[in-house]
This record gives sequence, C-alpha cells and structure tokens, in this order.
Amino acid sequence: MRAPGAGCVSAYLDPCDKCEEVMQPYLDRALDEGERAEAEAHLADCGYCRKRYRFEESLRVFVRQVCAEEMPPELKQKLAALRTPL
Amino acid sequence: MSETTPTEPRQLAAEARDRVRFEEEALELSDQVYRVARRLVGSREEAEDLMQETYARAFRSWQSYTPGTNLRAWLLRILTNLNIDRGRRKQRAPDMQPLEEGDYFLYNKIEEASREPVSEQDAVVERLSQDDVVSALSAVPHDFRDVLVLVDIGDFTYQDAAQILDIPIGTVMSRLHRGRRILKGELADKAVE
Repeated sequence: MRAPGAGCVSAYLDPCDKCEEVMQPYLDRALDEGERAEAEAHLADCGYCRKRYRFEESLRVFVRQVCAEEMPPELKQKLAALRTPL
Repeated sequence: MSETTPTEPRQLAAEARDRVRFEEEALELSDQVYRVARRLVGSREEAEDLMQETYARAFRSWQSYTPGTNLRAWLLRILTNLNIDRGRRKQRAPDMQPLEEGDYFLYNKIEEASREPVSEQDAVVERLSQDDVVSALSAVPHDFRDVLVLVDIGDFTYQDAAQILDIPIGTVMSRLHRGRRILKGELADKAVE
C-alpha cells in the first residue's frame, strides 16, 4: 500500500478514499493515464477496494438488464403507421 | 405542356427514397429508443405517448437530420425535449436534493447486513429485485435520472448525452456521478430491508 502523501500532493490521506472517489471515472474509462495507473496500483494491493469495484461492475450490468423493457409490438405498428404515405 | 424542368421528377423521386430510408432507419432504432424512453418516464402509457409524439415529429422534420450522424441520439434529443416540454420539470421541488453517499456505501451496507461473506456478484442479485431497481431509479430526481438513463441504460457516451440534453459535458459527468450515488443510496435501503 502506498504511503499517504507519497508521490503527489493529494487531498486524500487514505488512498482508499481516493480510490472510491475515482471509481466511476475509472470504470467509465475517463481517467487519464497517470490517474488510471495510480488507481490500478492501489487496486492490485487492496482487496477492500477491489471487491467494491467488482461489485460496482456487477451492479451496472444488473441495473442495465433489469431496466430493459421490450417495446410492445402494437407500439411498433403504431409508429410505422406514422410514416408519410407513399 | 410541360413547365417543369426535367430534373424535378427525378429530384422528387430521390427525396422520396431518402425519406423512406430515413423512416426505415428510425423505425429500426425504435426498440432502443423505447428502452430509454421507458425509464425516463414513470409509466408504460407515458412512454408510449412520448414515443408516438417523437416519431411523428421526427418523420415531419426528417430533413433536418444530417445523414451519417448519430440517428439514435437525434431521436433521443427530440424525445427528451418533448418530455421536458410536457412540464414535468415543474413537479420537482428545486431545493429537494437527496442525501448523497459515497460510492462504496451500498456494498458496505450489504456487507454489514450479511452474516456470511458474500461474493461481489451474488451480492447484487441476491439482495435486489427488478422492482427494487426500477423503483429506486424512479426516485432519482429528473436531472440526474435523465443522464443516468442515457449513459447507463441507453449506452450513450458522455458527449452524446451532452448533445441530447444540450448541457456541457462536465455537467453530464457530475450529474451522472451524483445520479449513480443517489441510486445506490436508494438501493441500500432496499437491499437491507
């Protein structure tokens, strides 16, 4: 585990707090290379954060699956009927 | 007697072809558009009305769509504008902001409530039902939910969501992050009931 304050000046004394803060941009692949490498180095060492990242990934998949509702076939027909007549 | 130029019928035929192609492409995307619409509003009936209004408007103004650009995003932009125009924004009390916990909050709650160790994957499925997720999502305030639904359910990029909602990309990111945290806060209550 990285010593608090080592390397760069950070508002986070606990590296797990910082890891929690960057979890969403990390999973969205929105971190820059340096931030990503830092998060990965922490995750490689920290089971506590790793578990929570894996949980977040599963949660996102689950939310997407259960929120997907098929369109009623009658609606599709109604939409098709809105087309301009030839 | 013919005052029309010889190209006119050809132009008309080409335009009709383009229009038909546009309509077909828009209809092919309707399942995906519906999936987003259904979670932006509270009921199936509202989603169906919104879809019909959206497609009626899209078919009327098809010429303002630039071929080759993201048609799904274009349709969703019409849909979200219509949804906002319906006045649903008035329903929200502007000062009501739900409490927002950190990103580990839900997992911590589940871990606290579990007697035996749970795997990260099982923790979600065992503790939460479809109804839990759907009702938690509907409790997320509209501004946050719109972004959450577009990105996490509609699979739009931050950039697309920014264009659809006509807000800066930084606002998309902050609303998305806060929206997810609010959602997890809502889910935490249900997961440990």
